[in-house]
Amino acid sequence: MAADHAHAHALGHAPADKKPISQGVLAMVLFLGSEAMLFASLFTAYFMVRYNVAQNHWPPLNSSGEPFELPKVGTGVNTAFLVFSSFTVWWAEHRLKHGDRKGLERGLLVTMLLGLTFLVIQINEYVHLGFTPQDQAFGSTFYTLTGFHGLHVFVGLVLLLICYLRVKRARDFTPTFSTPLVAASLYWHFVDVVWVALYILVYLV
Amino acid sequence: MATYQPTHAHTGHHHVHGPTRSAWDYWKRAIVGVITGVVLGFIITFLARWLFGFDGLWASQVYWSVCATLAGLGFIIGIGCFDWWWDYLRGRKVDYEDHSLHGARSIGDYFRPNTDHKVIGIQYLVLTFGMFIVGGILAELVRLELAFPGQTIADGETYNGFFSGHATVMIFGFVIPVFGGLANYILPIMIGAKDMAFPRLNALSFWLLVPAGVMLGLAQFVGAFSAGWTAYTPLALQGTTGQTLFEIAVQFAGASSIATALNFLVTVMTMRAPGMTVWRMPLFVWAQSVTAGLVVFGTPFIAGSQFMTWFDRVMGTNFFNVGGGGDVLMYQHVFWFYSHPAVYIMMLPGFGIISDVISTFARKPLFGYRALAFSTVAIAVLGFGVWAHHMFVSGMPGWLRFPMMIMTIVIAVPTGVKVFSWLGTMWGGKIHLKTPMLWAMGFVFTFVIGGLSGVFLGTLPADIQLTDTYYVVAHIHYVFFGGSVFTIFAGLYYWFPKMTGRMYNERLGQIHFWLTFVGFNATFFPMHWLGAVGMPRRVADYDERFADLNLFISIASLGMVIGTAIFFYNAINSWIRGPKAPWNPWRGRSLEWLVSSPPSLFNFDAVPQVVGGPYQYGLPGARHAVIFAGEDLGGGELTEVDRRTMLVVANESVGSQALTDRVRQLAASGVWRFTFLMPVEDGNNRAAERRLQSALSVLAAEGIDANGSVVSGDPLSAIRTAVADDDPQQILLVTQPRGASPWLDRDMVDRVRKASNRAVTHMVISGDDARTPTRSSAVQTIAVVANDAMGEGLATAVQERADGGPVSAVVLCPLSLDGPGWTDDAESVRDAAAERARAVIASLQEAGIPARGEVIDGDPAEAARIARDSYGATSVLVGTIAGRGDADIVEAVTAAAQPVPVEHVFVEAAPPAL
Ligand code: HEM
Ligand SMILES: [Cu+2]
Repeated sequence: MAADHAHAHALGHAPADKKPISQGVLAMVLFLGSEAMLFASLFTAYFMVRYNVAQNHWPPLNSSGEPFELPKVGTGVNTAFLVFSSFTVWWAEHRLKHGDRKGLERGLLVTMLLGLTFLVIQINEYVHLGFTPQDQAFGSTFYTLTGFHGLHVFVGLVLLLICYLRVKRARDFTPTFSTPLVAASLYWHFVDVVWVALYILVYLV
Repeated sequence: MATYQPTHAHTGHHHVHGPTRSAWDYWKRAIVGVITGVVLGFIITFLARWLFGFDGLWASQVYWSVCATLAGLGFIIGIGCFDWWWDYLRGRKVDYEDHSLHGARSIGDYFRPNTDHKVIGIQYLVLTFGMFIVGGILAELVRLELAFPGQTIADGETYNGFFSGHATVMIFGFVIPVFGGLANYILPIMIGAKDMAFPRLNALSFWLLVPAGVMLGLAQFVGAFSAGWTAYTPLALQGTTGQTLFEIAVQFAGASSIATALNFLVTVMTMRAPGMTVWRMPLFVWAQSVTAGLVVFGTPFIAGSQFMTWFDRVMGTNFFNVGGGGDVLMYQHVFWFYSHPAVYIMMLPGFGIISDVISTFARKPLFGYRALAFSTVAIAVLGFGVWAHHMFVSGMPGWLRFPMMIMTIVIAVPTGVKVFSWLGTMWGGKIHLKTPMLWAMGFVFTFVIGGLSGVFLGTLPADIQLTDTYYVVAHIHYVFFGGSVFTIFAGLYYWFPKMTGRMYNERLGQIHFWLTFVGFNATFFPMHWLGAVGMPRRVADYDERFADLNLFISIASLGMVIGTAIFFYNAINSWIRGPKAPWNPWRGRSLEWLVSSPPSLFNFDAVPQVVGGPYQYGLPGARHAVIFAGEDLGGGELTEVDRRTMLVVANESVGSQALTDRVRQLAASGVWRFTFLMPVEDGNNRAAERRLQSALSVLAAEGIDANGSVVSGDPLSAIRTAVADDDPQQILLVTQPRGASPWLDRDMVDRVRKASNRAVTHMVISGDDARTPTRSSAVQTIAVVANDAMGEGLATAVQERADGGPVSAVVLCPLSLDGPGWTDDAESVRDAAAERARAVIASLQEAGIPARGEVIDGDPAEAARIARDSYGATSVLVGTIAGRGDADIVEAVTAAAQPVPVEHVFVEAAPPAL
């Protein structure tokens, strides 16, 4: 669904980029506000469970009496991949500004590879965690937060893939018109920022 | 029905190709999409559960969840919402300005994805009013169960399904999206835009609502969700399939409203016409924008809450399971953090509509325009800080209670500002009590009661007593029904002429209002009392001592049912055959009134330039906008405000050829618009209303800007009022010739001149001329052919047809004499026939239907031919006396009248013998 906002154009109006902010980008910014609230609702659940019910005895004990454990270091490395991918997508846009379409292609490709790496490592983490979403509210909030985030990474990848296909096949985007690309990269940055917040709040503190 | 024709010769810079596929093609794909979704969902779920070895291979709720979700998506993809995107992501060349799905040329175009905001508006309205009927039926089932103590029609669980379904359908299926419908149609025009910012996203928003509606309806039959629209945990966790469908439907509806809201925000931010500063926006635009903000930032919270309940139920997570370290109360916090703002999502757009309607019908600038705008923002912001007033007795932390109480009471302040602004607008205004205004004033009355009961509920000690009783039910209905729904009707009647191009029937509209207003108060006011003495809400059975009032309430609720039935009849009937509506029937000032009804494909043929506020009624020379026509349209200004008003004071001659010709002649000069004033002294308003309607629709069909009203009582004071209201430049006073005119006997011309201080032109139209109806394709000519059946029965039949649209009548009495026509016998037969015809003509004229006629020496077939050829009849009514077997006459007439349609009317009793 997210893809819709990015590209549509005003009827009978000047090309969007002539405005200080294009309609597509504006819609994406507002949409990200909405997305932020979705994560806020899930974080509300997390904090209520953690501070109200568990009284911050965190992480709680699992069924065998041990505290739940999260792989801080491995995920930290994974976090670095995602943060790095924000820079690569920025670089891709930057290359387009200089009219370097090959650079744009490469930038998008590297970004997608990094994103995919993140997802694969995350799934691998799920497999080896040793607890499930059904294991107490801890498991429920953990999997729901990271799962929703993973879903957003996936959507972000799809958006980038669409942009990539447009670049390759339709020779889309010019230094003056790149609304869909800007919107997709905004989305990607958002996914990145959410992850950093999530990593700090759920894994570290 | 309304299909869009360009108003002026279209300038042609939009490339609009007609759609190549019919609506049915889209639906075939949609059906395939749904079936694919279900099958795919089933296979995926089965394989996943089997491969990963989940225990419970057949966990039914998992299957329902996946299948319903994929079926919904399959529907949207199948119906074609993503076709454009499919081309886009395959790297095809796409046209960003693709208008191939824009606009409706036939009814079928309303049943497929359409990117025209006007079509989408109508689609929303029709779908949501369908949901209104579903919700209404459930409400009556609730009232039936509660009519008597004990079990009446349903056991407890079924009853829970009824009230939960009722509230959910009404809230998520009607009130929230119906404003999306009104705003979709009106808002872009109000700000001078040609469409919404994202037309394809707009279509998607609408079609997302369809699966949501279907799932909510379907849920009633597969084990209804029964935990209320609030779906509190842990109760909701016990729900079955219905609860699953509820959770998915809410996601679809939520996605739909977020998408529309983004669209509205971007549209208002970037597409306002030149000169349309935020302080010149009509308040409906303000309200809808602020609402959109609430939707964008609030709705994700209900999405979150429903995701979590869904996971708990279907996947066995522990969000709300205390045993697993979860937090039950957390549900209520997350839910109300959306749902309190949601009550304003359902109310703010209505506030906007009311501001527009009251200002227009009080003919006064809005009192406190900026205060109204700011208070809208204030309510929205404060609305995020009061959610826990729904949770005072839930066991939440005690310290939260007091701040929530204070914030709640503080919200009453901006709300009060609004009420006083509306009252201030009406104060000293020239109130025109048309249907939209009745709803608006009814709204102010009921909403004040609802707001006051809200303050009681927001007060902690009172709420501890009143919560979960019928007092809360009274409150929510005073704010939802007396609030939101009244504003919806106000808006619907107000913009009906604009949206359909037809006038609704004013009398039925007023009956609808009064039945609903009285029925509403009789139904819900006693609930305050029931609640205060302790009747709990959401329970199927109750104590004997509440029995009498409950029975009374159940009976009173039927008033609203009848009112609603009348509304639907009126809306559908007027939409199909109502009289043509003028551009600006209410003399409104905002931009939607400067375009045709319905507006052309892209609303404006030239970009409007906004030059002032939208509510400057009665300020000389003030104007909201000017529209300059393009070169190809002859240039010049298209604004109606610069045309001068001519007040036409007339009675019998309204609708006659003579007067219509005069008006046409004046209109041709381009500087005049017309306000008809029909002072009626003998109390027969109905006849005058009919003549007026018919005259106005003839003029509207020709593009002449005219409106008017019928006023009882003293003509002079009516003229004085009209002059103050409309500030006409001139008055055209039409009377009968001297001697036949009571007005002239009273020296009216001079007195009007003195009273109005305006130039008065006097026009004389003789009685005969006044009875000659206007020839126009907008008027149906009904020929009445009958001999001894000629009488009241036929007159009534013509009147019934006249209720549907303008008609004139030709009364023909064929004699079919056996012998020679010159004998005394023949003469007396002829006289008697003429007498009968004259009586019918008189009776029709009495009813406001122009009628003429003659006696014909010939058979009925001959009369039918004459009706067709000499009178240009568009339909023929043949009357025969019941039980005499005149089938051959009817056949002969039908054959003779070809191709004019013939209808047969039986007249009951024989007319008095001579
Ligand atoms: C001055 C304004 C208002 C105040 C102070 C107010 C206050 C309240 C309070 C305190 C409650 C909780 C009652 C309880 O459950 O014990 C309540 C319930 C409710 N209010 Fe209002 N309200 C106001 C306006 C509105 C408006 C404008 C709407 C909607 C258009 C609305 C819709 C509702 C609904 C639906 C409920 C019941 C929710 C449920 O439990 O099912 N209220 N209101
Ligand atoms: Cu509330």
